[in-house]
Amino acid sequence: MKRLASIGLAVFLALSGLLAGCTSSSAPQTTTEQPPAQTGGDTASSGEKVLTIASGNDIESFDIHNHNNTSTEAVHVNMFNYLVKKDRSQQIQPDLAVSWENTDPTTWRFKLREGVKFHNGDPFTAADVKFTLERAARDNTLLEYGNYKQIKEVKIIDDHTVDIITDGPQPVMLNRLSRLGSGMLPSKYIKEKGWDEFLNHPVGTGPYKFSEWKKADRLILVKNDDYFGDKPKWDKLIFRAIPEDSTRVAELLTGGVDLAVNIPPTDMQRIDDNQGTHTATGPTQRVMQLTLRMTAGTATADPKVREAIELSIDKQAIVDNLLGGGGTITRTRVTPGNFGADPDLYGKQLYDPERAKQLLAEAGHPGGLEITMSSPSGRYLKDKETAELIAAMLGEVGIKVKLEFLEWSKFNEKYKGKTFGEVFMIAYANSMFDASLAFDRIYSERAKGETDYNNPEVDKLLDEAETNMNPDERAEQYQKVQRIVAEDRPVIYLFQTNANFGVSDRINFEPRLDEMLFADEITLK
Amino acid sequence: MRQYIVKALLQFIPVMFLITLIVFSLMHVTGDPVSLMLSDTATDEDREILTKALGLDQPMHIQYLKFMGNLLQGDFGTSFRYNQPALPIVLERLPASFELAIAAMLVATVISIPLGIWSATKRNSILDVFVTGGAVLGKAMPSFWLGIMLILLFAVKWKTLPVSGHGSFKHLILPAITLGTGIAAEMTRLIRSSLLEILGQDYIRTARSKGLMEMLVIYKHAFRNSLIPVVTIMALQTSVLIGGTLITETIFSWPGMGQLIIQAVNTRDMAIVQAAVFVIALLVIISNLLADLLYRFLDPRIKYN
Repeated sequence: MKRLASIGLAVFLALSGLLAGCTSSSAPQTTTEQPPAQTGGDTASSGEKVLTIASGNDIESFDIHNHNNTSTEAVHVNMFNYLVKKDRSQQIQPDLAVSWENTDPTTWRFKLREGVKFHNGDPFTAADVKFTLERAARDNTLLEYGNYKQIKEVKIIDDHTVDIITDGPQPVMLNRLSRLGSGMLPSKYIKEKGWDEFLNHPVGTGPYKFSEWKKADRLILVKNDDYFGDKPKWDKLIFRAIPEDSTRVAELLTGGVDLAVNIPPTDMQRIDDNQGTHTATGPTQRVMQLTLRMTAGTATADPKVREAIELSIDKQAIVDNLLGGGGTITRTRVTPGNFGADPDLYGKQLYDPERAKQLLAEAGHPGGLEITMSSPSGRYLKDKETAELIAAMLGEVGIKVKLEFLEWSKFNEKYKGKTFGEVFMIAYANSMFDASLAFDRIYSERAKGETDYNNPEVDKLLDEAETNMNPDERAEQYQKVQRIVAEDRPVIYLFQTNANFGVSDRINFEPRLDEMLFADEITLK
Repeated sequence: MRQYIVKALLQFIPVMFLITLIVFSLMHVTGDPVSLMLSDTATDEDREILTKALGLDQPMHIQYLKFMGNLLQGDFGTSFRYNQPALPIVLERLPASFELAIAAMLVATVISIPLGIWSATKRNSILDVFVTGGAVLGKAMPSFWLGIMLILLFAVKWKTLPVSGHGSFKHLILPAITLGTGIAAEMTRLIRSSLLEILGQDYIRTARSKGLMEMLVIYKHAFRNSLIPVVTIMALQTSVLIGGTLITETIFSWPGMGQLIIQAVNTRDMAIVQAAVFVIALLVIISNLLADLLYRFLDPRIKYN
């Protein structure tokens, strides 16, 4: 008995010791923090202004050229600066560059801001611009390579002037430089210390500098007193990774975080009813669409069938019933805030099931027809439900839909192989804020095998707009393309999705169209 | 004894070889990492360039041979997602997983041992019915439901414990209870049935007939002998706990290996998955070995030849 008791005690002590060892080894980073129940609202006790933001996922890394994750970029914008930035209304404004001009159609000359310092004290110069942009433009293993390969060379004119030479006229150059991948990197620091050191101790020019990153838990940034712009508004930013929606909501409700992104529509009411929190919602760049196969021999090759499909879908009902009103119906992917948007096609639908039935009869399908529709499941908010509702709506007019739900990687395989049936549902974003990206897959060459859409007029307009350096003319060309596409329907656009946020009453927060979380646009009440 | 340990460790080599092969093949047939890495708007040309740059255009057997060649030199490869060597990323997550696994085990032990003994000795009493019923309930309760309920009660309603995160002892309580409850249920039932079987043995009757106190009969003669199956379960559960606490880690945003593995699988981050599977397999083998050694301690009749 005695022996057993002593063994039990020993095992217990050993386990507790191990446990304590584990706890203390990982604890130092957080011992200076308040318990989460107080971090959010904590300004009075320590006098430190702390902003805590909860996202669904942790940042991918600090390699700004090797991710394509909006939520990662939303954090990076507080540490790095672009040459030019978009303001809240998506207008290009100076940032690290103070002015710019086209010296010829393929050369962009930028005058750089003087006196800017990286967080480690290195001055920001033209060499950093060359290093940053040429890395993305030349290393084809980087995920952002495709968005920067148009840059042929960055020429240093003097310490504070650079020429960016492109492989052809690049009307979207400023959009390209005010997004993911264009945050300026410290060339001297990286060349001297290497990438690994940079990835563990990143350095930028932004209003907040790196303090600590506990992967899958939290990233802590602190204010940069030497920032070249307005003084940072917060002393410390904490970005927490909370993958589970209900946990993220609970953290907000208990004051553990000030701002929670990606709130499910079903939790919005709860947050509004809770004392001390409210919700905010705003449009995003993501548009849900149906892509239709026009390959000869398929039912959807007939324009009347495609029109009937569009007329039988009540897009507003989907937005209201499935997304809790969190979206805007549209007939174009180029939504307001993007270059070339056509407001006439936005906020509208052509729902008319009676006319749809008529069109089907005219197309030779009086008894209805059967099509296959593929949809990802679990990739977008309520994607499965949306596809089911659409199938039901099409069923009402006599189009029997064989629904195929695919897990994202399987969906992707079919997408890449272009092996979908008549219809597939997908949502695209547009980080370039330009119409050109929206029509990439509409162009006949790239539509081959997918929609098999081929309209020489559209191709011509897209070709011209691609290199047109006259913005007014270019916008007109894209608007014309949108009107043609809305009639031809190789794609039926459904709705632009909203982003939902839960916000503590102690802060002011307005969502941005680009979903970036600039901490200095968030203020204490 | 030493021979036994060496033999057990040598068995690790073919097992690992098989595991890497299975993981490698599964990851390859379930999807292409490039499509998942690039944005939805990437062109086919962009995809091709990246596929080639990552060496994913080569035949699968060549890729596997390359991978094994590097593995033999201790190199698990570079994570696509983090662009850093995979093994350190996995090892970095290990302490948090250990912490949670051990805490959950403690919760399970503290609950199951007294309840198991109690219900076995008071067989068919109301208490026994409650304990066995509770064990079924504990096992049947999905951990995500229990976790969310605990958060709603302790964090949102009573505001006594933090909702999620990692760092202090307070953060550990809810995830440990969530994870520990299921194991406690299983262990309670196991201890109960194992003890019941032993209580019917001749040597127990002998002990009782000697006039020993019931307490002594149970603790000295019966309980220790009933521990053998319990130790097996504990050892197996510990290794499962370290790698498989995915749901609990996700609910409480606990930065352990479970979360890392699911993200790596979702992004087909081969190097991370392989490194994580390797580490877990190693832990399973070590914990099984420890269980074997413990048996010997608990039951000196067991010998290793």
